Amino acid sequence: MSPPAPPQTNSGATDAAILDAIGNPVAVWDARMCFIRGNAAFRRRFGALVPADDTELTQTGFLRALAASGQLVQAPDPVRQDLAGCEFLFTDGQILKVESWPLPAGGEVTAFTDITETWRTQRALERAYDKAAGADQSKSRFLRAANHDLRQPLASLKILIYSCMAAETEKERQDTLHAMDVSVSIMEDLLGALLNIGQLDAGKVEPRIQTFQLSTVFDRLQIQFGQLAREKGLDLRIVQSRAAIQTDRSLLERILSNFVGNAIRYTEFGRVLIGCRRHGRFLRIEVHDTGIGIAPEHEEKIFDEFFRVAEQQPARHSLGLGLNISRRLAEVLGHRISLRSAPGKGSMFALDVPLGDIWHSSIGEAEINERLGGEFAGLNCLVMEDDRMLRDALITMLQRWGIEVQVLEHFTDIPAAIAALPVAPEIILTDFRLRGGVLGTDVVHQINDALELPCPAIVITADTGPELIRSIRSQGFPVLIKPVSPSGLRVIMHNILFEPELVPELS
Amino acid sequence: MKPQPIPVGGLVPLTTSAASDGREFQRGIVMACEEINQRGGILGRPLEPIFADTGSQTAHETIRATRFLISQGVHAIFAGYNIGAQNAEYEPVADAGILYIHCNTLLQHHDTVMSDPARYFGCFMADPAEYWYGQGFIKFLSWLRDSGQWHPASDRIAIVSGPKPYSIVIANAMKQSARQFGWTPVFPPRILRRLPTDWRPLLEEIRAAEPAVLALTHFHSGDLARFHLQFSEDPLPVLLYLQYGALHRVFSEMVGEKSRGVIIGTVIGLPRDEIGWKFFHRYKARFGPGSTPEIGCQTYNAVHHYTLAAAMAGGTAGPGGIEHNRKIARILCDLPYRSVSGTIRFHPQWQAAVPYPDATLDASLGMPHLFYQLRGPEDPAALIAPDPYRDAAFELPPWLSRG
Repeated sequence: MSPPAPPQTNSGATDAAILDAIGNPVAVWDARMCFIRGNAAFRRRFGALVPADDTELTQTGFLRALAASGQLVQAPDPVRQDLAGCEFLFTDGQILKVESWPLPAGGEVTAFTDITETWRTQRALERAYDKAAGADQSKSRFLRAANHDLRQPLASLKILIYSCMAAETEKERQDTLHAMDVSVSIMEDLLGALLNIGQLDAGKVEPRIQTFQLSTVFDRLQIQFGQLAREKGLDLRIVQSRAAIQTDRSLLERILSNFVGNAIRYTEFGRVLIGCRRHGRFLRIEVHDTGIGIAPEHEEKIFDEFFRVAEQQPARHSLGLGLNISRRLAEVLGHRISLRSAPGKGSMFALDVPLGDIWHSSIGEAEINERLGGEFAGLNCLVMEDDRMLRDALITMLQRWGIEVQVLEHFTDIPAAIAALPVAPEIILTDFRLRGGVLGTDVVHQINDALELPCPAIVITADTGPELIRSIRSQGFPVLIKPVSPSGLRVIMHNILFEPELVPELS
Repeated sequence: MKPQPIPVGGLVPLTTSAASDGREFQRGIVMACEEINQRGGILGRPLEPIFADTGSQTAHETIRATRFLISQGVHAIFAGYNIGAQNAEYEPVADAGILYIHCNTLLQHHDTVMSDPARYFGCFMADPAEYWYGQGFIKFLSWLRDSGQWHPASDRIAIVSGPKPYSIVIANAMKQSARQFGWTPVFPPRILRRLPTDWRPLLEEIRAAEPAVLALTHFHSGDLARFHLQFSEDPLPVLLYLQYGALHRVFSEMVGEKSRGVIIGTVIGLPRDEIGWKFFHRYKARFGPGSTPEIGCQTYNAVHHYTLAAAMAGGTAGPGGIEHNRKIARILCDLPYRSVSGTIRFHPQWQAAVPYPDATLDASLGMPHLFYQLRGPEDPAALIAPDPYRDAAFELPPWLSRG
């Protein structure tokens, strides 16, 4: 329905034509701010709001009618009385801005300018600015967080290096080296997680949710913090769990590492206890300590970035980032953190994570291969081969099968060379003719004397003379002719280790 | 003019201790060829199976049998398993440039194929590697425990392996994942270099360690039957897991009612769904009540999958037809096939079937790792895990319920 036609004057028809030629809505209001006329664009956009009869329509009435029309995404401020300066966002995406000019005889003209494109461009610019500023902030936050979080495993590593240097037994040394290896892998994971945080700030990374056994994370926490707790005389106790949970393994470990690191940092006597309990479909992972506790007024603030309790901090070397990172990670994962604390008695930080389906539980290995699970995985093999290229190819193949390879290159003092090996070999692969006219079979006999037990050995030779082969085999050694086929070597190694009755040379 | 048949090979153990399985592998190939030929063969050419005996499956015997088949001009070779050869048969297959689809169930297949994908393009393993048995079994145990279907007396598990690589890998994989799921091995996997005829001393040693679970990863039906008969004389209070071979009909026939309660796993079996049941009945009707479709299905699937891929590639090629066979191999990789055993989806690098739920959470895209529990000697084994395939509930074994 069209609005009532405005009063016609001599120039009225010309005025109307001029107004209609304007592409944007334009309206004319009298001195009492009652509607007089609108151009064609106004009628197209607002025609339904103008009464069909002679009923007066004020600007206030127009605003109310517009709010009730359902045309706007957001209704105008109800206390507004006039149109001047209004911006309207319509449900079809158009944005109109109102400008008003007074008329000489009273009243005003209002023009609705289409600012949709300008508005979009401006928003895009704002978003780009926010993104740039966020990236800058994120970079700074990343550097602070990296500094903070890498200190923990670095400190552990430092202690472990001293422990390793002071190790009195081989087992002690191996255990420490294993713990060092874990610390380094924790640092790697940490850097990865921190990079993820930086990317999460930029909205680019999704957490990798998977189902896995919580015990794998607990084991790593034990290794990461066990030494530190012992150094401080604290009892670090982890109640192992059989539960499968559904979350991001690396980010969860970051959250819990911060809880446990803080627990040890702020506890002088007593113990730190890590455990969990089921709550419906969730598992609540709890870290208890008998430390200094947190005052009620600080319980929320401790999750703020850089928050430090002034009187505690200098001695604790904390930048106040750990719990902030934990909270941000928990938000990303959609997990709830809770805290219970009593000053002077200790604290309990808890995280609720969804329980997972044990059938879907990942064992944490990205790839399944023989290095991980082959029949020879972990076997120790001594290789004696002069030809560097052949030796390297052999070693590569053996390592791909999960075999730990040691190489013997000098044969002048076999007992000393064997004694110097970190681990006694469980199988020997030797070339028949070694450097300096030494025979591999002779060296194996000497090795067996040094070990005081026979070590299974396979002789490899390029010499295909039947006499020679017979002679080697008669000494109890299976023989492989170069070039060695992987399946041939595999069969003989398997047989000599696990089915010796299938090795005729041994009978 | 009569279309020229396509010769295809069956590399199967028809003598020695694996012969009972070998006969089923042979039957699977025969039945698949019959069905395909009834429908017109591959683009009109019928399949003609030729079999070679791999005996005790040593490298020597398996290579000899493979070479014999290639000399007969076969376009593809199908096999159940030839475990002792340690992939030695891949060499003549690669030299001939033909397709070879087997169910060796060996992790070393991954290594061999990935070490030279261009050379071993035609070697496919239509079931998952044995490695998955290990962690899958530990998850199964944990599921029984955590869902309250079974209340183990302790967290201890005894793992005993036979001397074959297959058994050793499974035993090591069980040990490797046990702790994560709350299980403690009572000793490192006991690898028996020679299977005892008298199991009683070992059983008593295990009894003293008081485990809640005993897993024996050796897999030959006859050996397992001998073990189980001695176990049943004075059963240990354990949940007993026997590897794959106990699924064979001959095991139940040998141990009779004593088989009830034994747990068995297989990464390639016969789900009890409509497709599986139909095959089960067809197979029994074709080969008699003493036949074991749960085993024959392996080669049956492989022949059908190959047929589809070859038809899509425009036909088959014999030894030397490497380029065309590469085309078939690529289609095999790209074409998941819903076999009677579940979906065969070849991993693009491993060229082995991906297992469900061990390596994929999507039941429609993985070969189901099935867990059975034996009932009476006349009853089919109950399929008790995993969802959505299971059709029966776990029952406490009689020797435990009596206790």
